[in-house]
Amino acid sequence: MSLTGLRKLREGWAIQWRVLHALMVRELNTRFGRENIGFLWIMVEPLLFAGLVAVVWRFIMGPEKHGMSIIAFVVTGYIPITLFRHSISRCITVFTVNGSLLYHRQVKILDFILVRFLIEMLGGMMAYAFIATVLMWWNEFPVPADIGLFIAGWSLYALFTLSLCLVIAPLSEMSEVLEKFVPITTYLMIPISGLFTMAAWIDASLRDYFLWSPFVNGMEMMRKGIWGDQIVVYYNIWNPIGCSLVLGVIGLALCRRVRRTLAIE
Amino acid sequence: MQARTADIGNRMIICKNICKDYVHGGGRKRVLSNVNLVVERGERVALLGRNGAGKSTLIKMIGGVEMPTSGKITRDMSTSWPLGFAGGFQGSLTGYDNARFISRIYNRDYKELRAFVEDFTELGKQLKNPVKTYSSGMRARLAFALSLAIEFDCYLIDEIILVGDQNFNRKCHHELLEKRHDRSMIIASHSTDLVRQICNRAVLIHDGQAVCYDDVNLAVEEYSKL
Repeated sequence: MSLTGLRKLREGWAIQWRVLHALMVRELNTRFGRENIGFLWIMVEPLLFAGLVAVVWRFIMGPEKHGMSIIAFVVTGYIPITLFRHSISRCITVFTVNGSLLYHRQVKILDFILVRFLIEMLGGMMAYAFIATVLMWWNEFPVPADIGLFIAGWSLYALFTLSLCLVIAPLSEMSEVLEKFVPITTYLMIPISGLFTMAAWIDASLRDYFLWSPFVNGMEMMRKGIWGDQIVVYYNIWNPIGCSLVLGVIGLALCRRVRRTLAIE
Repeated sequence: MQARTADIGNRMIICKNICKDYVHGGGRKRVLSNVNLVVERGERVALLGRNGAGKSTLIKMIGGVEMPTSGKITRDMSTSWPLGFAGGFQGSLTGYDNARFISRIYNRDYKELRAFVEDFTELGKQLKNPVKTYSSGMRARLAFALSLAIEFDCYLIDEIILVGDQNFNRKCHHELLEKRHDRSMIIASHSTDLVRQICNRAVLIHDGQAVCYDDVNLAVEEYSKL
């Protein structure tokens, strides 16, 4: 009995893996095509965004802020926020858009969210590695002090983003109003994303509220991983983990509910 | 891959008390109510009914594309995706890309699948063009070729895509009705001739109710009266 159970589980994994692989290739093909640099385009967008904004800031604000290179500071802020904003905007009505793929029973709606999120995450990571290497060459970016902490911070940031996608995707199928509000909401969330500020810079009485944001906790961890002892950070890993778990459970329940009523042409 | 030659037990598809509602801007419309249907291996079941009666909806639910509002569908056979003019393809991708996608998710060798598709569809260079540029007949050819290459126990056929040009018609007939005569089929069609010719059971869907007939001619007669 348990042996057949194990075999079924392995079969299930094999199918899941095949489906994710096929969907990923398909998505990259439809989005970027096979011309010129092909799938490498996934890193160009975050790269351009972070790079150009960093250059603008460098000219407006000077070379440093609180002892951190302004370029490195902006880059470390913008690449994660790009992951968040793109993941959210790409998961809106993702079920309807990909509806025709549901003709194949092994394809599940969760795969759509997962694939789009993974593509954004891979693109973000590639862009990050690329731009950090280039900037280190120019001495504009510190050599990471604690790469493990950085990766942990990135993972928590990404995990929270994914759990948000799991909620937004089904909600966007249920209500068109929500769909309209998402872009402005993601924009308004920038101040509490940890993009422009470190927790250490703001008043102690406000800091606690600031640290309620799961994004801030992830961002502080990433920056500590990069600058190490040069900066003071505040974070609690249980905030992003807890928020992700709660949102994830709600999201999965919503997805299940929406799947039952999904009409496919 | 499962063994497909031997009949293991009594393989069948069972629809039990299927209801399906669609919600449109506050209103709720019941398309199918309490549909019961059993399809056994080797049976060729026709779904008859007027436009909008719910034939496609039932086929989509049997194929797992849409979910019933209530009731349960049990499948002991592998079922194809609903083969019709729409669905199952990504329009912006080429015929080859779609074939590759399907070979990946169904775990089939792409080279073999491609060879079969090229031979069966006779689409030639068109396979290099995006599927959205295909005519509906061409899409039907591609869908049929892919589903035949994958091999299913039960083929779900939506609309009368079996009625193509002469040549294609003959090919379909040979591949589907002769070589795979032991498979099940569920066919939604308006063509009474076709139904009489190939089906051995029929289901008449009207006003959300489904009535099963063992005599196809009787079902066609009732259908003609609607």
